[in-house]
Amino acid sequence: MVFSSIIFLFMYLPFVLLIYYIVPRELRNLFLFIVNLIFYGWGEPVFVLLMLFSTVVDYTHGYFINKYRDNKRKAKGFLISSVVINLSLLGFFKYAGFLADTLNVLPFVNLPVLTIPLPIGISFYTFQTMSYSIDVYRGDAPVQKNIITFGTYVALFPQLIAGPIVRYKDVAYQLDHRRETLDQVTHGVKLFMVGLGKKVLIANQMGAMWDAIRETGQANGVLGSWIGIAAYTFQIYFDFSGYSDMACGLGNMFGFEFLKNFNYPYISKTITEFWRRWHISLSTWFREYVYIPLGGNRKGIKRQIFNLLVVWLLTGFWHGAAYNFILWGLYYGIILIIEKFILMKWLDKLPSAIQHIYTLFIVMIGWTLFYFEDMEQLVSYLSCMFDFTQGIIGQKALSITLSYLPLFVVASLASTPLGAKLYEKVRNQGFVWIPETAYCAVVLLLCTASLVNQSYNPFLYFRF
Amino acid sequence: MNDTKARENKNVFRFAPLVLFVVFIFTFCILFIVMPKSDYSSTEKRYLEQFPELSAETLFSGEFSENFETYLADQFFGRNFWKGLNSYYNLAIGHNGADGVYSGNDGYLINIPVEEKDSRVQNNINTVVKFSQSIDVTVTVEIVPGTGYIMNDKLPLNHFNYNDEIYFNQIINTCNDNNLEFIDLRESFKQSAIDGIQLYYKTDHHWTTAGAYVGYEQLCNKWGLTPTSKEKFNIETYDNFYGTTYSTSGFWFTNPDTIQVWNNPENTEKNITVDIIEGDAQETYHSMYFLNHLEEDDKYPIFLDGNHPLEYITNSNVKSGKLLIIKDSFSHCFAPFIADNFNSVTLVDMRYYKGSVSEIVKEENFDKVLVLYGIDNFATDTDLAWLK
Repeated sequence: MVFSSIIFLFMYLPFVLLIYYIVPRELRNLFLFIVNLIFYGWGEPVFVLLMLFSTVVDYTHGYFINKYRDNKRKAKGFLISSVVINLSLLGFFKYAGFLADTLNVLPFVNLPVLTIPLPIGISFYTFQTMSYSIDVYRGDAPVQKNIITFGTYVALFPQLIAGPIVRYKDVAYQLDHRRETLDQVTHGVKLFMVGLGKKVLIANQMGAMWDAIRETGQANGVLGSWIGIAAYTFQIYFDFSGYSDMACGLGNMFGFEFLKNFNYPYISKTITEFWRRWHISLSTWFREYVYIPLGGNRKGIKRQIFNLLVVWLLTGFWHGAAYNFILWGLYYGIILIIEKFILMKWLDKLPSAIQHIYTLFIVMIGWTLFYFEDMEQLVSYLSCMFDFTQGIIGQKALSITLSYLPLFVVASLASTPLGAKLYEKVRNQGFVWIPETAYCAVVLLLCTASLVNQSYNPFLYFRF
Repeated sequence: MNDTKARENKNVFRFAPLVLFVVFIFTFCILFIVMPKSDYSSTEKRYLEQFPELSAETLFSGEFSENFETYLADQFFGRNFWKGLNSYYNLAIGHNGADGVYSGNDGYLINIPVEEKDSRVQNNINTVVKFSQSIDVTVTVEIVPGTGYIMNDKLPLNHFNYNDEIYFNQIINTCNDNNLEFIDLRESFKQSAIDGIQLYYKTDHHWTTAGAYVGYEQLCNKWGLTPTSKEKFNIETYDNFYGTTYSTSGFWFTNPDTIQVWNNPENTEKNITVDIIEGDAQETYHSMYFLNHLEEDDKYPIFLDGNHPLEYITNSNVKSGKLLIIKDSFSHCFAPFIADNFNSVTLVDMRYYKGSVSEIVKEENFDKVLVLYGIDNFATDTDLAWLK
């Protein structure tokens, strides 16, 4: 189930909210655990078993890691076992087909290519459950003795399918001791409305624009091709950050506080800064559980470069089992290394406008790599972006651009903290509830209209 | 700081967004559950999704959940309101239409340009050529240009180019190369539009009766027949016709069209017979107009009762002449005109008729064969391939 759907907004959520606040506090985790499974199983019920399997396995491992806390070797054995099982799940469901395809290129190799549908959100929750074993092993979080509470964490529906990746230690305390307040729930509703608006009113429209421009191919001209990828740049940001906002908002409605996942990435002046602002929970995860354990920057420059490349290769591959995602990860790995060791001192001296252009340029080329899984299409689109012989902008691309121009401007403004700054100025005023409520009303009306009409409403993370 | 906080906390209105949200989602949840479900939407002119089949199989395949979401959307309380809101919102933020329909001037709702796939135009005209070579009668092709192409000045300023010119040239070239007769309506239509004749409906993709009359005149010129003169008809005008582009667009505030029946007083139930064949069933009528459809949401079927695989019109006032029309729905308002010039007119719709047409030709000894299509259908139709 996805948040931006009628079934979620007008069936699932009302029932879950109502019953959650009716049942006694001690049953709330159990209730959440059950409805999480309904949420997850809607559409692909079989994978509920996978979720239960994950829960039981990681619960048991956590238990034994804790039990053998004083026996380093045994504890480590259970940690390794947990990581191996989690990565095997991910490997089997997400990468088996890709691996078989790759190896079949070799002579004498003929592996069967399994066509298993990718269980939705598997990349998110396997990372979460791994964080549990690791946190318990490191002593960063206490062991969870109650399997229901643990299951509630594994399958917590707000962040189950598209993040943020919530580390166990960040919610360990909340799982057992959260106290929902009306102010928190109200804040959650407002955040949810921001996210829903981003997703349905901006991302979906930008996605339709990108699809329309992409269809025309070469005839778009140079500017047309850049406008196309700019639309995709907006789509992926508003879609992804919209989902994260909705997740955090829903978390609030049930008493949870999650960490911020996006922080206006497109206003960055360097790629290093961009990755501090984009999908923060993923970068944090890789830093904490891969980069630092590998030695980080503490073992010399050569080792640091190696570590960075490994982390970025994995980051890319995490986004999907295809070559373009690996390419995309390495692309950022290399640029970050260049920035760190060479470019940074020069970049700082440049006018900030140039720094912004530089960053957006790299990011937009990055999204092109990210979008096209087919190498031929990728090369063809990239060449359109630099081929001045095809004209500036095609008739069709121009028509599409004009149609979407007002939204394009809105999306540009909404990518900056401008709105947040304005809000900050008035948030303590007595009248602030008026614009807040008006905003929610408009978003509810327009999003419902769009969803009832079954307008273009893609789910972008089925590859994750 | 503490001061602000205390003041902020006292204001119960700070919960207004929460109250609004909860009331909204619960209201529509309850309305969905308690309100009766409908089978059919008369504004959208389509059947609505019903509660999907629930079985272990549909549940585990994900089919149930997918259909259930369509069911929710189709049966959502106030669906027409939401669809309209969505369309007008799209217009307000600078789009030129909604759901594949341009919102034009003077209340014109015009389909966006059709893009052929897999060289459909060439394939379809090749099928016609091949068919013509398998029979002894000359085949004439008449294609009706699209609303967007002819009524250019009614389009929104910002729109995609229409491909009619390209498709027409393709068809004409193939016809010329293979000795097929082609009736090119483009010039006469452009001229008639300038003369102020309403050739197309504003809320439907079809040509009007007046538009069909221009097509009839042009065909008669080519075939050396005398068209029934305009003055001879008693024109009956019916109000409140909302067509297909209206239904898909969601622009509910658009004014309705009128729909006209041009009655030739000489045609009565004494000389006109219409036989409609649907499978093994055959129904016989004595009028080409089925005014009972005026009561319905879609009024276009007043002409020849709408879509059927096979229909025969016999006009006993005319002594001779047998015509076969291979057609789409554009022929429905056209056929009553040409029936004045032939003793019998046979209409075959390849979307529903899957038998051999050349067999009919052999049995019936037609004098003329006409292929009559709207350009948008001709560029997308995949059923013409059945023609043999």
